[in-house]
Amino acid sequence: MFLQQLINGLAQGSLFALIAISFSLVWGLLRMVNFAMGEVYMLGAYAGWLVVMYATPNLGVALVAGFVIGWIVGWFIEKVAFKAMRGVPHIASLVCTIGFSFFLKELASALFRAETKSMPSYYSDTAFTFAEANISYLQIIMVVIAVVMMVLLQILFYRTKIGLAVRAVALDYRTASLMGMKVDRVTSLAFSLSGALAGFVGVLAATYYNAVNASMGFVAGLKGFTAAVFGGITSIPGAILGGYLLGAIENLSVKYMSSGYRDLVSYFILITFLLFRPNGILGKKAKL
Amino acid sequence: MTLRNVYASKEGKAIGMGGLAVILLVLPRLLGGNDYLLQVATMMALYVVLASSLNLIIGFTGMYSLGHGAFYGMGAYTSAILSVNLGWPFWITMPLGGLLTALVGAFLGLATLRLRQTFLVFGTLAFGEIVRILIMNWSSLTRGPMGIPGIPPPKVFGTELTSSTHYYYLILVYAILMVFAIFRLYYSRIGRAWVAIREDEVAASSMGISVFGYKILAFTISCLIAGLAGAFYAHFVTFISADQFGMGESFLILTMVALGGTGSIAGPIIGACILIVIPEAFRFLAEYRMVLYGAMLIVVIVLKPEGLAGIKGLFMPTTGGRRRTTLFRREPKVAAVKAGGSQ
Repeated sequence: MFLQQLINGLAQGSLFALIAISFSLVWGLLRMVNFAMGEVYMLGAYAGWLVVMYATPNLGVALVAGFVIGWIVGWFIEKVAFKAMRGVPHIASLVCTIGFSFFLKELASALFRAETKSMPSYYSDTAFTFAEANISYLQIIMVVIAVVMMVLLQILFYRTKIGLAVRAVALDYRTASLMGMKVDRVTSLAFSLSGALAGFVGVLAATYYNAVNASMGFVAGLKGFTAAVFGGITSIPGAILGGYLLGAIENLSVKYMSSGYRDLVSYFILITFLLFRPNGILGKKAKL
Repeated sequence: MTLRNVYASKEGKAIGMGGLAVILLVLPRLLGGNDYLLQVATMMALYVVLASSLNLIIGFTGMYSLGHGAFYGMGAYTSAILSVNLGWPFWITMPLGGLLTALVGAFLGLATLRLRQTFLVFGTLAFGEIVRILIMNWSSLTRGPMGIPGIPPPKVFGTELTSSTHYYYLILVYAILMVFAIFRLYYSRIGRAWVAIREDEVAASSMGISVFGYKILAFTISCLIAGLAGAFYAHFVTFISADQFGMGESFLILTMVALGGTGSIAGPIIGACILIVIPEAFRFLAEYRMVLYGAMLIVVIVLKPEGLAGIKGLFMPTTGGRRRTTLFRREPKVAAVKAGGSQ
């Protein structure tokens, strides 16, 4: 049982890790949090669901659809909640994204009705059994996709010119702009990318849980943020570590307490880390 | 004499307040015994209190909290459990509900020592969720997802308050008392200390204001008021369950403050009235009513960050090197980049 929970935890952890990367991408660049990240994830899941139900049963296409929708919504949120509010204190932007989170969630539940849509399952057969623990193809695929995504991001950030631009703006936007860089464009790009990532994870999560509904984003967003804070929101490797650790801890904790209290563990971790170690496990020492 | 002058003069204000008081007092008559409308008015009064109490934390002291729904629920549950299980009268359980909530609020206020801005928002959010999960799962005490039915109505001088009119007056009195208390607090030494902390924490502490102490005080008083409101609510609707006090409630109260106006006395009152009337007035929009909430919040925040009737200059953009009054001190950010000519 222990091993099974650990494997489930790792599969779920890849979802958390990817959302956590979205958070730390925006945080690294703007020192801000997009509260509506969970809702972007939810919209991505709906996009994937629509593709699978009405267009083609190909999971790859659904993932791309989630990515694209996430990109568009992320771009739009950046334009309204961040670009239009430059110079206004951060907290106003945060309240604006809280408005977005509410708006998108209610919009989705009005458009698609409140009941949970069921997503067809993919690759859910057991790939192999290892010490009485069943590992499904989907779980393997999820971990692989997550790792590939992380490697791609790492290459993007450290091997390309775009990545260099993003890192430069994150380090010192002022100097970057004095050097003639288009700070606005880089910010917009990174923000859209974080949204796209969230939308992409949304489709993965919908496939994993076989369910899509309008309120799936809130808990996912909060867990993703928890993972980011847990591992260290200032660093992407930290966010990844936080995601996997959180997934493992959450699934193992089910063994020791009733499943109703499952979310409690994450929130407790969030509060504890915010209070006593806001830089997370791997985070660089920075004033938050 | 223009209308504005009339309103600003002492007599004008007195006449305005008097007029409002008369309207509020005869409202049950005006509505002609329409129970439904009277209940909407009662809820409005309740939310006026809740939004005003959150404004103590957000608008006066400059801290953002997303856990107010949990405090509201805590007051409701404490009062309901005490009166249903132990049979205590409303006038004892209600203050106890408020007191317990205030204690928990003071405890959460300790977190403000280390948490600021965005992180305080997430910390209070997580706290609110923890409270909701506890209420949901602690079945032996709270009956879990089944909720608590049959909460006895309050008694005044031996008679049970049962009609909507009775409740309306009861909650109206409570609302007026609380708003008046908040008004007096704002213009007292304590209120000035809060505003000083909001404007500049370092300057405030160098003037001898105990920043941490006043922050905890803001949380405590705000939660006391919200807990009392919860107790009134529980005995008004006579049935409560955990999902009434979830995230949505905290969102709603925060939206009332942010939309109506941050930092002013009138702001949260206006916000509460707008957000309670809208779902009732726009019934034809069906599911899209709630979408309207979010859209309104976004539009108002972008165009007027301090809200419809907020304190002017609360979210003033900093331009150039000159520091303006802002809710939070901030390093000159991208505005300066633009001036530097990045494009």
